[in-house]
Amino acid sequence: MIRSFRELWQYRALLWNLTERELKARYRGSGLGFLWTFVNPLLLMAVYGLVFGIIQRSNIPHYTYFIFVGLLPWLWFSTSVQTGASAISDRRDLLTKVRFPAQVLPTTVVATNLVNYLLSLPLMVGLGGLVGIWPDVHALAFPLVLAVQLVFTLAVTLIVSALNVRFRDLQHIVANVMTLWFFVTPVLYIPNAVPEVYRRLYLIANPMAVIITSYQGIFYEHRWPHPRGLAIVALGSVLLLAIAARVFESRREEFAELI
Amino acid sequence: MGDDIIVLRGVSKSFRKSTIRREHTTLKTELVRWLKRQKRPELPSTSIQALKDVSLSVPRGKTFGLVGRNGSGKSTLLKLVTGIYAPTAGRVEVHGRISALLELGAGFHPDFSGRENILVNGIILGMSRREIRDRMEAIIDFSELGDFIDEPVRTYSSGMFARLAFAVATHVDPEILIIDEILSVGDEHFNRKSTAKMEEFRRAEKTTLLVTHDLATLQRRCDVAAWLDAGVLQASGDPTQVVAAYRAAVAESEMAAVEQHVARERAPVQPRSGPPAEPGRRWGSFEAELSEVQIRGADGPQHVFSPDGVFRVQARYARYGTVARPRVEVTIRTEGNGALVWSGSEELPGGDQSVVRLELPRLGLGDGNYWVDFTLSGEGPEPYDVQRGLHGFAVRSESGGGLLAPVHRWSVEPG
Repeated sequence: MIRSFRELWQYRALLWNLTERELKARYRGSGLGFLWTFVNPLLLMAVYGLVFGIIQRSNIPHYTYFIFVGLLPWLWFSTSVQTGASAISDRRDLLTKVRFPAQVLPTTVVATNLVNYLLSLPLMVGLGGLVGIWPDVHALAFPLVLAVQLVFTLAVTLIVSALNVRFRDLQHIVANVMTLWFFVTPVLYIPNAVPEVYRRLYLIANPMAVIITSYQGIFYEHRWPHPRGLAIVALGSVLLLAIAARVFESRREEFAELI
Repeated sequence: MGDDIIVLRGVSKSFRKSTIRREHTTLKTELVRWLKRQKRPELPSTSIQALKDVSLSVPRGKTFGLVGRNGSGKSTLLKLVTGIYAPTAGRVEVHGRISALLELGAGFHPDFSGRENILVNGIILGMSRREIRDRMEAIIDFSELGDFIDEPVRTYSSGMFARLAFAVATHVDPEILIIDEILSVGDEHFNRKSTAKMEEFRRAEKTTLLVTHDLATLQRRCDVAAWLDAGVLQASGDPTQVVAAYRAAVAESEMAAVEQHVARERAPVQPRSGPPAEPGRRWGSFEAELSEVQIRGADGPQHVFSPDGVFRVQARYARYGTVARPRVEVTIRTEGNGALVWSGSEELPGGDQSVVRLELPRLGLGDGNYWVDFTLSGEGPEPYDVQRGLHGFAVRSESGGGLLAPVHRWSVEPG
């Protein structure tokens, strides 16, 4: 694990440049350009706002803002894992021609989507301001939650990208699992909507539920994240990252031969 | 040993043929195997061995050339040295920073400008951002792209693309440069520039590992050479010797192929009716023909000659119809069609059969592959039997090049 991350540190310039390029390339040539970073989540929010705010009326106050708080970090996670699945298997051009640490590629995906998330934060804050909810002292916990999600997202992305080299079915499976995962994570509803019997299990088994509710606590309800829940997820994420590094390490020699 | 910058010890590499015999790996099969706690079956028949027990060392500061036919394992060897592949058995030791030109423009993004791509490509090749910034202008100069440097790479011609990529790669300033047959990028002018760049490397006592098909390049530019065939190291050491050994082997297999071809073509020939004409290779009226053509040295049939050796051709002449004043002409020409030796016999005697021989007591040709063509003709407008490009031989010379190898003598006198 140490080796993987030391290499990642050595190649931080590459990581940074690829991330920068990814961000620029994503919207290059499109009319709105970088504005798509904001337009995309806004449109998605509008869709959910329409369905659950107007058609299937939800009784959560300031519902569109509520969705936005949970949707943005969720998009960071789900886009990272889905794009990351093929981050290695699609880069035959690089991996079979040059020697460099393959973990840079999935990490770039996670970093790119992290930057996207951070860039859309002002939009979220502004939207909250419209309905009178400004960030307060609780925002101090935000970096911590962000760090936990980073570790968790990176771990999942590394594993998926490494396994997808041999099992190409994985990227299709992941896409569908993500849809399910989205609906069992309280982005569109509050955890209290889940039947009492499942609620505990649901919070234990789904780290993303803990992470998303932490964000909602900070920005929407103005309360501190649940310390024990977040601590467990943090610890579990670090453990998962260690496992991910091992899985990645044991597979990386076959990358160049299999893709 | 301390002076060897790359050392391979008993290196083997095999690849699994995972797609044959329903050997597809899927999540399911892998899961079942894992549940049954079985090891992955390693059947020898399902793997291809690309390299077999190769040991060699590249001395520091030398230019090392690697030759071999397609599929002989050269590229696999380069990828092992670069660290892209891990060896199945044996050890690969590398003591220095490597820049590998296995393919030009690794990581180039078509939508970005040449300048932006220099940055990312340079980092991938192992430079720091600072080094790239310092060398940016030199790289752009070398690539000769001018104003195009700020255009997206997708608008480049393939020559421009290659020039940019080569410019970046040679400015990495590595201790070891690995090149896989890319010297032939761009036009004549750029070729000279890249050659000069490589010479610069050599003078700066950097190590170069080069794979090429161009034997002249290998002989001229390498200090040490190795020849791989079917994954086995056939020879290594002095480039001239390695090239000679490689050429002899290639010539022999080529000749064998030509002979097989000729034998196949001749099989249906009925002596009295004459062989079927083959446009471009053999034609004529076949009222008389030449058969059993042999190229011989001092001791019998031979295909590889030295310039000093005796050279003989021999053919059996047979007459089937009425012929007028038949003569045999022999032409020795290069593969590129330039006739070097032309000679015609006297009128053949009137019998139905005879054996015709031509002898050159000293061949006098330089290194290369040659054809011997025959024309059997008489007074009529149509020749009886013309054979072109059916009989070949090769000359392998220990010293010197050139088309001709006349008897010559050097002398140096004080004065």
